[in-house]
Amino acid sequence: MARTVAYRRDERRAYWAMVLPAFILYLFVMAFPIAISIILSLSNFNGGKMFGGERWRITGFQQYAKLVADPQFWLALKNNVYIVLISVFGQLPLGFVFAYLIYRRIVRFGDFWQGVLYMPAIISVIVLGIMWNMIFAPSGLIADVMNKWYANAFSHKLDVILRASGGFNVTDGFVHRIVDISDPVALQIFNDPFTELKDIIVAYTPGQLAVFRSDMVNLLAHKWSPDFLSKADVAMIPIMFVTLWCWTGLYLILFLANMQKIDVAIVEAARIDGATEGQVMGRIVLPSLSGVIVNAAILCISGSLNSFALIWAMTGGGPARVTEVLSIYMYTNAFHGAPHYPLANAIALSIVIFSFILIGLTKLVEKRYGGRE
Amino acid sequence: MRDAARMTYGRITGALGKVLAYLVMGVFAFMTVSPIIWLLVNSFKSNAEYRLNKLSLPHEWITVNYPGAWRIGEFDKLIGNSVIYTLGASLGIILFSLLAAFAFAKIRSKATAPIYGSFVIGILLSIQSLMVPLFIEVSQLDKLLGDLFQFLHLMKSTDFHLFYNSRVGVLLIYIGSGLPVAIYLATEYIKSIPDALVEAARIDGAGYFAIFRGIILPMSVPIATTVAILNITGLWNEFALINILVSKTSLQSLPLGILRFSGTMMADYGKQFAALAIGMLPLLIFYLIFRKQITKGVAAGAIKG
Repeated sequence: MARTVAYRRDERRAYWAMVLPAFILYLFVMAFPIAISIILSLSNFNGGKMFGGERWRITGFQQYAKLVADPQFWLALKNNVYIVLISVFGQLPLGFVFAYLIYRRIVRFGDFWQGVLYMPAIISVIVLGIMWNMIFAPSGLIADVMNKWYANAFSHKLDVILRASGGFNVTDGFVHRIVDISDPVALQIFNDPFTELKDIIVAYTPGQLAVFRSDMVNLLAHKWSPDFLSKADVAMIPIMFVTLWCWTGLYLILFLANMQKIDVAIVEAARIDGATEGQVMGRIVLPSLSGVIVNAAILCISGSLNSFALIWAMTGGGPARVTEVLSIYMYTNAFHGAPHYPLANAIALSIVIFSFILIGLTKLVEKRYGGRE
Repeated sequence: MRDAARMTYGRITGALGKVLAYLVMGVFAFMTVSPIIWLLVNSFKSNAEYRLNKLSLPHEWITVNYPGAWRIGEFDKLIGNSVIYTLGASLGIILFSLLAAFAFAKIRSKATAPIYGSFVIGILLSIQSLMVPLFIEVSQLDKLLGDLFQFLHLMKSTDFHLFYNSRVGVLLIYIGSGLPVAIYLATEYIKSIPDALVEAARIDGAGYFAIFRGIILPMSVPIATTVAILNITGLWNEFALINILVSKTSLQSLPLGILRFSGTMMADYGKQFAALAIGMLPLLIFYLIFRKQITKGVAAGAIKG
């Protein structure tokens, strides 16, 4: 009897010695912040010392009212929804199809494709965000390539005109034809394009042909400017594209690993009985992966609701805050300018609540339509 | 006859499907790799050349961007910090998660259901959404401790940092944030180790910590590897948390340093690209070496809910 008591005490002591370090750290990192978040979102605390500093008190649900009244909150929420949508309905299906192509050996060298497509997920999103910013920026790669293309097209047309008028021969027809091929936007600098342009062109001598051509290209060719990216709604497109680009490989890996657990005999038998690849995918592989797909969807939703670093590095929420998502909206409220801790904490809690709602919905969908495992 | 016709028809659609499959796969793979190669190529261009042509190969391949970026960005310090944070936190996560998982899986206790359950709920919580309260927590704790030490005449000033702007703080928070997933994986794994092994050792008089060291630890190498891989890749690139935990440049990790660098070096594209290349090469090399293990670990560890 005495021995079992000692035994039990020993067991209990070992149990707590093993569990407590992890549990305390967990409380420190997850539970306390949530508690702080709940309390501060209901308060008027704005920096300083929480204990023994300036007085602060619970003021109720004001912050949430402020949040709901702030159009920026709804914009950030909408942007977040875009990211959730492209993740769930872009990354997952694409990842699934790629995994299926490799699984069924419809494409060979599966290892190679998998290795390549997962590569972005291994690189720091800060590096990737800056890289994509340099591609999409107003003076970035895409603008450069497009402008070179427009310039080339323009100079070809100019060559045709020069050849038609037999070299550098300034006539009214010559100037008219140049006006015709010019970009309307570029011509807006003139009040009267024809006469003013003619005055400019007359100043060149036939010996300055090369200079003339490059000047005309610079002045009159169409210039591509990505200023549509500063408009709400479209501004999210590059970010959605990069999101898709970055994490599709993750779901490819996840789905492929689970497809490889399916009994090969079932698939082979179905093929011999005349099932098409489409039928195998829809009737055998998809149902047996339903649990994994729900898991992936949950991973996807909570990941995209919390996306921060990639967008932060890529646009910083700009231009003019049109690409802010909830986490950036929270960050700027807390750390830019005067701190609005109560509001920021209300946002933090709303992100947590949104993810639980979406995850709950996903589970509900699984219960309704899935569950053939 | 009709069967033969159907067969050829099937073969033709099969061949077409294959071509289409390769095309889709090829296009996506090309889109995946080309920006990364573009970045690497540009790191060998001079700033002036990048401004003139952003797409084509450099006329003159130069390497000076690398030493320049390395020196200005203080990459030796950044990489050193990243190594400390990544390895330190990964080791901590492995140790604490295996210990707790052993207790959850093999020692019967009424506390297991609520505590283990709370860890599983924690998997659903993304810690990025908690960065503001986390920042408030660490800075307030430092203020409290500073006041306390001054009150006890242990320190002259109240400027005390244990959690904010400190390696310890970063490590603790990294470990805590990695625990839920790690504990879930490790507990499920250790549950599959036969109880008889543990009981036999108990009857022989071994203590729980001896059993942990002698039986559980050696048998848990596969799951420890999975946890290590997940956390090494995750923590090396971690940005959201360290961004609010550290403001001193001497404590910054690689992602923070790269963002700061690109902010201050807006005008020198060559060096920017070199810095980005330095930022992605360590993990890219890690990936090339351990691709198989990483792929397996990611597939095993991708759990939420």
